[in-house]
Amino acid sequence: MNPLETRGKSRILLWVLLAVAIVIYGFPFLYLLLTSFKTPLDAISVPPSVLPETWTLDNYVAALSRGGVPAALINSVTTAVVSTVLSLVLAVPAAYAITRFRTPSGRVFIVAALVTRMVPTIAVGAPLIELMRTLGLTDTSFGLALAHTTISLPLSIWLMASFFEAVPDELSEAAEVDGCSRIQAMVRVVLPVVSGGLAVTAIFAFLASWNEFLFALLLTSVRAQTTPVVIANFQSQFGLDWGGMTALAAIYSLPVILLTLFLQRHIVAGLTLGAVKG
Amino acid sequence: METLAPQARAEAAPAAPAPGPGRPTRRPARPRRHLSKDRGDRRFALLLLAPAALFLTAFVLWPLVRFVYDSFFEISPFAGASRTFVGFDNYATAFASDAFQSASLRTLVYTIVVVTAEFVLGLAVALLFTALGRRSAVFRTVFMYPLMIAPVVAGLLWRFLLIDNFGIVNQLLFEAGIISSPGQIQWLSDPNIALFSVAVPDIWLTTSFVTLVLFAGLQNIPGDVIEAARIDGARYPRILFSIIIPLLRPVIAVALIVRGIDAARAFDIILIQTDGGPQGSTTTLSLLIYRTMTRFGDPGLASAMGTVYLLVMLAVAIAAIMLIWRPGSSAR
Repeated sequence: MNPLETRGKSRILLWVLLAVAIVIYGFPFLYLLLTSFKTPLDAISVPPSVLPETWTLDNYVAALSRGGVPAALINSVTTAVVSTVLSLVLAVPAAYAITRFRTPSGRVFIVAALVTRMVPTIAVGAPLIELMRTLGLTDTSFGLALAHTTISLPLSIWLMASFFEAVPDELSEAAEVDGCSRIQAMVRVVLPVVSGGLAVTAIFAFLASWNEFLFALLLTSVRAQTTPVVIANFQSQFGLDWGGMTALAAIYSLPVILLTLFLQRHIVAGLTLGAVKG
Repeated sequence: METLAPQARAEAAPAAPAPGPGRPTRRPARPRRHLSKDRGDRRFALLLLAPAALFLTAFVLWPLVRFVYDSFFEISPFAGASRTFVGFDNYATAFASDAFQSASLRTLVYTIVVVTAEFVLGLAVALLFTALGRRSAVFRTVFMYPLMIAPVVAGLLWRFLLIDNFGIVNQLLFEAGIISSPGQIQWLSDPNIALFSVAVPDIWLTTSFVTLVLFAGLQNIPGDVIEAARIDGARYPRILFSIIIPLLRPVIAVALIVRGIDAARAFDIILIQTDGGPQGSTTTLSLLIYRTMTRFGDPGLASAMGTVYLLVMLAVAIAAIMLIWRPGSSAR
């Protein structure tokens, strides 16, 4: 038991405090869900009510049948998957090299990866517009996936490096003594050991792309537009269409929220690993 | 490995004269294997690093170089139009402009507000979870969900919650008797408070991250230190400020640095709520740079602002790491 764990009567008070915190924390998204089931007029009624007066799926039907929405959902998936694969393919060997061989180049590299995290997105995004035009990748999911990889790759390298760090060097050394080449030792012996870490890294790379907005805004216009940009543009002639917006936001957020519930232990590991290990 | 390396080198020394790749007939002696293996390892490591390094060079470093390079030119926004080298003129314009100065100040205020709120709330909840022990695990999961939500969605959602006339927050405050009319607080349209209001969704979105990191750190605090303090009669606040926070220092540093960097870069979450308004009161640096580039059509000036911003971010982050984290001292 943790020495900071409280015993006795004050525990009840703490549970009450926690309940209050959870309600405050959970309410905004719950309200978003409830609003998405209201009629469009109900959604902007004065005074507002928490529960829908009549429950309806109209907002979902309207949101999904809107031009560009299904395509944007598909674009989001495509972009995120391509970007995740790309980050893993690039990050896994790099992180392995950094932790397994500890060469000076590796040390420089991991610091450089940290520095890229501090760069304001716009400083990379603006020149990327021109670069993508040169490469003929403007308004393509692949081009956007490349841009998203600039965010997820440094993160993936850090995460994978922490996971490889936990694997004893003796494992790959033994594999090499047994006749494996260096690549075989990495792919066949070490990689299966860190498969959980690979999953965590994949989730974070996926989320980084799934939720990204600025690159999507700068680098796509029609064909490759992802859902966050569409949600942001959910205007009607009366201003923002809150009913439709909340419905699309729910469709977009629920899968990843459910993902956290199922994979929470992995996600907590990924979030805290780098930070706690220092 | 740190301890292994010198040993390997010492072993390898006697075998130095015979580094040839030719396979000896008898089983190779350990030392020789190590020497050739070392060089092979290094080459293999470079090979593994190369793809990621090339990618980052092409898609991060090169754009950054272009960005900084552009800051020395006067660039017409029309494609194919002329560029004129103007030296540090853009920097002079940036530093002299009110917009840049006030946006810098707003970025600073926004970052401090977000980081302070997240640290206080995050630590409080982490201590709460720790005090409640294993049974609170389910609630930790619930607490984590905003981390998965897109900043754009969070921004829109909070804009909806805080809307003056039909926002639920004001309505609930009104019903609770805290404010006298539902329209009393103009969260996002009062220039005096808008900068604080736009910070709310950011705080809501990522306090969980701070909580998770601090919670993990709290689990590693040695129990005997706390017990000893308690036996000596120390009360909870004393234990918190004299033992827990100092022991958590490296973890706190990492959490705050990560969050500080992200808050200073906040873009979509503000853009979606206020678009920099009302009266520019929420125009932080990233919004100002974005506008100067796209709407005002002055990429040269935008690049100069961005370069200053980038340099300050790097300097502050490095200083913060050196000061708070103190690598090599008490921190691991």
